[in-house]
Amino acid sequence: MAVPLIETKHLKKYFKTPAGLLHAVDDVSFQINPGETLGVVGESGCGKSTLGRTVLRLLEATGGEVLYQGENILRYSKRDMKKVHLNMQMIFQDPFTSLNPRLSISSIIAEPIKVCGTLKDKGAIQEKVHELMEVCGLPERYVNTYPHELDGGRRQRVGLARALAVDPKFIVCDEPVSALDVSIQAQILNLLMDLQDSKGLSYMFITHDLCVVRHISANIMVMYMGKVVEYAPKDELFRHQAHPYTKALLSAIPTTDLSRRRERHALTGEVANPINPAPGCRFAPRCPYADERCKQPQELKQVAPGHYAACIMCQ
Amino acid sequence: MDNVLQSAGGHETLLEIHDLHVEYDTDDAVVHALNGFDLTLRRGEKLGLVGETGAGKTTMALSVLRLLPPRVGKITQGSVTYDGIDILNASPKEMLALRGAKISMIFQDPMTSLNPVITVGDQILEVLKLHFPDMRREDRDAKVDEIMKLVGIPPSRKGEYPHQFSGGMKQRIVIAMALVSEPELLLADEPTTALDVTIQAQILELMKQLKEKFNSAMVLITHDLGVVAEFCDTVAIVYAGEVIEQGSVEDIYARKNNHPYTSGLFNCIPDLHTTADRLEPIPGFMADPTDLPQGCSFAPRCPHCTERCLNESPNMYLRGSHGIKCHRFSGEEAE
Repeated sequence: MAVPLIETKHLKKYFKTPAGLLHAVDDVSFQINPGETLGVVGESGCGKSTLGRTVLRLLEATGGEVLYQGENILRYSKRDMKKVHLNMQMIFQDPFTSLNPRLSISSIIAEPIKVCGTLKDKGAIQEKVHELMEVCGLPERYVNTYPHELDGGRRQRVGLARALAVDPKFIVCDEPVSALDVSIQAQILNLLMDLQDSKGLSYMFITHDLCVVRHISANIMVMYMGKVVEYAPKDELFRHQAHPYTKALLSAIPTTDLSRRRERHALTGEVANPINPAPGCRFAPRCPYADERCKQPQELKQVAPGHYAACIMCQ
Repeated sequence: MDNVLQSAGGHETLLEIHDLHVEYDTDDAVVHALNGFDLTLRRGEKLGLVGETGAGKTTMALSVLRLLPPRVGKITQGSVTYDGIDILNASPKEMLALRGAKISMIFQDPMTSLNPVITVGDQILEVLKLHFPDMRREDRDAKVDEIMKLVGIPPSRKGEYPHQFSGGMKQRIVIAMALVSEPELLLADEPTTALDVTIQAQILELMKQLKEKFNSAMVLITHDLGVVAEFCDTVAIVYAGEVIEQGSVEDIYARKNNHPYTSGLFNCIPDLHTTADRLEPIPGFMADPTDLPQGCSFAPRCPHCTERCLNESPNMYLRGSHGIKCHRFSGEEAE
């Protein structure tokens, strides 16, 4: 079998807080093959953004491994990391704060090229910037404008052009469309999918929106309080949800189809405190099926080929 | 419109906005936020107001409450009638009596709409002190406890400050503040947009129950067509400061006859139950409110645009309760 492009093994990221250890990412393992998209879904505070940043080493992992083409990049020196970052880039959630307000659009897009030194010649850099702007659907007249002159959708295109500037193989997309209106969201999603087809990119697509994730991903990973509760190919997951949290998440989504308008299975309670969590299933306090066995730690178990879930119901 | 007056207390039509024009005077240009906005709301009706950022949804709510930023925001034309009262000519004293007592508003962001240095109990109490000065102190305290229980927060936490609560709980407190005076009209501006889906489901369920208890009319401002489908009776779609389509939830979500903009919105949403390979975004960008096109404001983005659309702005064409502002439906009976 081919080596996956990105793989994590038992990745952990804990934050020290005055109140104790915050388990933001706890024992997460996944694989992304070249040209594939992994969707990471969960509510705010479940650790999905921390996971994305830890994979890129924007945050240092507490434990576990991140393998890029089979090599553990957590052991790399700073200089080696720079080379790895040529292949791994990120798009941030908020197009309003992730662009430097004092740089023009062309300087923003050219910055990663200059930092990584892939192109030295000024003319070549300008040419590359123009090419990237065209690919991302930004008209050339925006070259010398500043971020505040653009609307959210165009700013997110600038963020995407910047991520593509060093021709990466893998991009972590951290909620790239959640700050945008639906009509603009559709444009950006289409653009991301076109780029994947033409450049063979792999994405890790972090979002709280299950509809978006279904649209763009091959595999979906559902997280709850730092733990993976379910992992499955997209169609399998939408056909059959093994974990009660995934079920609740799906039923909570308002649908525009009136024939499916129904009583919700609303969850009670709120997400518990991730600082020094008790062993055992972290969803148990909100789970309608919880019993004594949930106090034991739950491992991911295979429920169908390629479909894993961590729940007592799946034994 | 269905304007049958019924003699159940006040007027059956609770809120009527007619041909409202609002401008914001900025340093660079004049922003035309509302351009002939029409809306009618009956007592107890749950209306969903849908549109994209900058369509004028929040401006409409602020106009009804007369809370437009002074000097910058101006109502240039039109009328707003609330239960027979002409809002635009009401005195500041009359407005004080309406705001918070008869008409309440839930603001978009629960994180910033609470005062961080006042306990949540006192913030709810403040509403009662202002609007029911004759109420006995014990009664007020009892009322605060009751409303907190109703929104699912133990009254024992009323001595705590906003930062001690999670986002969902803060939004419950904002809802409690809006409902404690038992208003006749609730303007909810994106009440769940800042929240997670599972918490959103809880809050919507709660608002549904509370609405039934108090029988308030409600305008739910949102950009989420899904939330409207599950929560509202009627829908108004807003584009560039105008209602371009209105009707019952069934009229609009049947998706047989829709304004081209509404169809575009539906096509943009990735569907949970079918997989399409590509989404069909609406081409172009939202109309620039400082420089609106002549004729129909959606014409430059419309796939069915004709010569007529570029020159003449369409009327609202009605078929029963369903109205569409588009020349394609001009065969139907005009308003």
